[in-house]
Amino acid sequence: MPQPLVKVVDLKKYFPVKGVFRVKGWVRAVDGVSFEIMKGQTLGLVGESGCGKTTVGKLVLRLLEPTSGEVYYNGENIYKLKGSKLKEFRRKAQMVFQDPYSSLNPRMTVFDIIYEPVKVYKLKVSDPEKFIVDLLYKVGLNESHLYRYPHEFSGGQRQRIAIARILALNPEFIVLDEPTSALDVSVQAQILNLLKDLQAKYNLTYLFISHDLGVVRYMSDWIAVMYLGQIVEFGPAEEVFEKPLHPYTKALFSAIPIPDPELTRKREKLKAPGEPPSPINPPPGCRFHPRCPFRMDKCSREEPEMIMVEDKHWVKCHLYTKK
Amino acid sequence: MECQPIIEVKDLYVNFYTYAGIVKAIDGVSFKICRGETYCLVGETGCGKSVTARSLTRLVPPPGRIEKGVILYYPEPGGKPINIMELSEEELRKIRGSEISYVFQDPNTSLDPLYTIGYQIAETMHAHGTVASIKEGIRKAVHILKMVLMPDPETRVKNYPHELSGGMKQRAVIGTSLSNNPKLLIADEPTTALDATVQDQIMDLLRKLRRDRNLTILLITHNMGLVAEMCDRVAVMYAGRIVEEADVYELFNNPLHPYTKALLRAVPNPLKRVEKLESIPGTVPNLIYPPPGCRFHPRCPMVMEICREKRPPEINVKPGHRVACWLYAEKRGE
Amino acid sequence: MEMAEEVYEKKILDKISDKVIDGIAWLMDKVRKGWKRRNKARIDEWKLMAYAFNRSPPGLIGFTLILIFLALAVIGPYIAPFSYDLPLTAFDSTAKLAPPGKVVTIKPGQLAEFLHVKPGNYTLLLGSDDYGRDLYSRILYGARVSLVVAILIMIVGPWIGIAIGLVAGYYGGKVDEALMRFTDIFLAFPGLILAIAFSAVFPDRIREFLAANPAVRDFLLALFALKPQHAGAMASLISVVVALWLVWWPGYARLTRGLVLSARENVYVEAARALGVPTRWILLRHIFPNILGPILVYLTLDFGGVILTEAGLSFLGLGAVPPIADWGRIINDGSAYFPNAWWLIFYPGLMILLTVLGFNLIGDTLRDVLDPKTRRSIEFKIKKKASGGK
Repeated sequence: MPQPLVKVVDLKKYFPVKGVFRVKGWVRAVDGVSFEIMKGQTLGLVGESGCGKTTVGKLVLRLLEPTSGEVYYNGENIYKLKGSKLKEFRRKAQMVFQDPYSSLNPRMTVFDIIYEPVKVYKLKVSDPEKFIVDLLYKVGLNESHLYRYPHEFSGGQRQRIAIARILALNPEFIVLDEPTSALDVSVQAQILNLLKDLQAKYNLTYLFISHDLGVVRYMSDWIAVMYLGQIVEFGPAEEVFEKPLHPYTKALFSAIPIPDPELTRKREKLKAPGEPPSPINPPPGCRFHPRCPFRMDKCSREEPEMIMVEDKHWVKCHLYTKK
Repeated sequence: MECQPIIEVKDLYVNFYTYAGIVKAIDGVSFKICRGETYCLVGETGCGKSVTARSLTRLVPPPGRIEKGVILYYPEPGGKPINIMELSEEELRKIRGSEISYVFQDPNTSLDPLYTIGYQIAETMHAHGTVASIKEGIRKAVHILKMVLMPDPETRVKNYPHELSGGMKQRAVIGTSLSNNPKLLIADEPTTALDATVQDQIMDLLRKLRRDRNLTILLITHNMGLVAEMCDRVAVMYAGRIVEEADVYELFNNPLHPYTKALLRAVPNPLKRVEKLESIPGTVPNLIYPPPGCRFHPRCPMVMEICREKRPPEINVKPGHRVACWLYAEKRGE
Repeated sequence: MEMAEEVYEKKILDKISDKVIDGIAWLMDKVRKGWKRRNKARIDEWKLMAYAFNRSPPGLIGFTLILIFLALAVIGPYIAPFSYDLPLTAFDSTAKLAPPGKVVTIKPGQLAEFLHVKPGNYTLLLGSDDYGRDLYSRILYGARVSLVVAILIMIVGPWIGIAIGLVAGYYGGKVDEALMRFTDIFLAFPGLILAIAFSAVFPDRIREFLAANPAVRDFLLALFALKPQHAGAMASLISVVVALWLVWWPGYARLTRGLVLSARENVYVEAARALGVPTRWILLRHIFPNILGPILVYLTLDFGGVILTEAGLSFLGLGAVPPIADWGRIINDGSAYFPNAWWLIFYPGLMILLTVLGFNLIGDTLRDVLDPKTRRSIEFKIKKKASGGK
């Protein structure tokens, strides 16, 4: 069996809530998350704001240190990497941020922005200008953009620059944190297609974080649905979209308006009343139980296990626990 | 169905006088909203949909200015219209909030953090003379919060905005907007700041209010999914102009304008597996120097010579379906 | 992206500033090949900044004042008719406390030769002091002293604060706590009193140091335009400089820390961290350039403040000791003869006022010019005029 490129095991990250004199409580941003991503594939991480999906993205790149748990990259625990090995991991694993309007330094030209990582990692580049221009062409820009400042570009172009900056390092694994949510629909499709083309060309592995189900379905091979710091459903994208199992997944899918008036008005909807509770004191048992239309007695008492219902389709719900 | 207009916009032009130059934000927009319907203005950032909505009560923020146009408001079905453009600021104030009211995108900035929810609703009613005193207003606010399905309204009326969740805040904002029984509710991206499940709840609420109170809703959004779900009639805006207007089923099944077609193909549908999204090349034009002729022509796959030179006419292809595109002018021999 | 041709109504000043900026660009291009091509956008921005500055009357007044001050400080000692310590009473007993406009005749002779003075008739433009020293000459020398003192302080003091602020703001946590409490201790003492305490302790050490390092001593003497025999007096001037280094930084530490705290929240800082950019680079390339504007404004405004403080210390009898011609010192010496010899206080006072005012005016204008928002509104006015005039 092939080894996964990224393997996350029981990852937890708690942030302290500081009182005047002492820590008052903990925000359980990520609370026991496990998943795997195979090389060259895309895992879509879906959830509403505050569910901890961005924190997972940062933990996987070791931009944050976890409270507990491990992340293995090519079989090696990234939290134990040191020195040149850590540097090598930092080069291979990159991130694209949500807001292209603030992710580029306004005082640097496109050349400086893209060339910076080359300098950081002391890569051998004989002709920097040609190197950068080649990268610009790869993301659909050209040499006339070389010495401009970010404020002269539109959102989509800026996101292209951010992608070019990462490509300069020849990465293997990229965390895409809502890369198109700040962009307009017509530009969103351009960026998504660019990301797909690059993936096919360079065999890139993506962790695609988004709240937009349509975009996630378009991009992903696998889906993980997060609710309040936990993954509640995990499986192949087609499976999860065609046959969602967890009540939260169903509710989330029902809530998304579909750009087709006949379909969207006729389809059956599963409503989840209320709003996600605070991750500071999450509900006991299953975290979704206060909003779940199918809740049972045991849901508020016992936390369900993650179980495999069908081939590679996992769900964390008592409805599917074997009696 | 016979259309009884509640508001009618004719040939609206709005410019913004910015440091960089004059932005021709709205360039000859005309449309009509029928009583009791949900009308959608859909388009991308900067297409002018929000400015159009604000123009309806002359709420265009400086440095913007309405250059010309007629905005007719019909207070009674079939009655005599009022031209909003000719009203004094005082007369306008009476219409804003009581006849036509707004719900904006971010509930955090629509509510004043220093006052309770109940007080803010009461104040709006008091300002328009709906209630005699603030005290009476606060009592009535409980009913209004019930109407917007706020959980536990008796407690919430005494809460400050920061004590409520995002969805509850937006409910409170909608309650404030509806407190004076407006006839037209303008909802400008009311759920963009909210999560999907909460957005769905707010949309359910809007549908219910519309049914129960015979409200007319103008919904401004960039989300094609919301359009499909909520609207009766849709106007698609691009670069300050309406490029197509139709019944929602007609628009999704039979889009005519190349921009509408491209837009619909560029939205990923979570219910369908798509191999390849079609993207629209290029970017939205800079409205300080808008392209001549049809403003979509630099990105249009069907562009013709005339598109670069002359502004396309608005053509009624079918009853209730108009499109501003030269492709259809030729076919009709115009 | 298409950029439309920008329309500006250029005035003579704009053409001059264009030439100056083009000159700088040409120089940079000579030093580093291709600089001009790579920095076209930056050059254009500089030109726009200059246009905005040219449209601000207070800024131009300030600029003129500072230009005059700089010119006086640089060439003053060469155009002064007399040396700062020349007692004219040696030639003319009525030259003591002479009012402005008094004519003094210097006869040829051994004395004139010994004191290196050309014989002739001299009009004392601003009068003389109680030793019969020409006030005009002393003010010119004083400009040099003020400028050098201010520059010496500004190239060290603020940067200590900026460095501390950068480190405290970026690392946060315990480092921040420790550094900021340290800063608070310094802030808790009034700077002037601390400086007085320091400048009472330092002179002897500095005198020893200067004696041991003649090269440094001679360089400083040339900078201050002082005679070699006044090296001892210079030591107390230097001690004020050192004292002000130690008290001048806390304000900058606070300012910088605050700016870093807000700049640190920018996504591009996080993006740089995600790319693996070392902390030092992030501070110097991503944070510092983005907070430089406000710091530059503060530095400019503070330049006047330094000159004022130094004059104040001299007035109190610290720092410049006789016969060094320092504006604060001149006022101090002259105060004994006020109001009869009013010119001894009025003219140096006026110089301090105009110089400090000049720096304040420039600082205020720079704030508008460096802030993109206000600058664009100024630019907009320029363009509107230009397009209206077509």
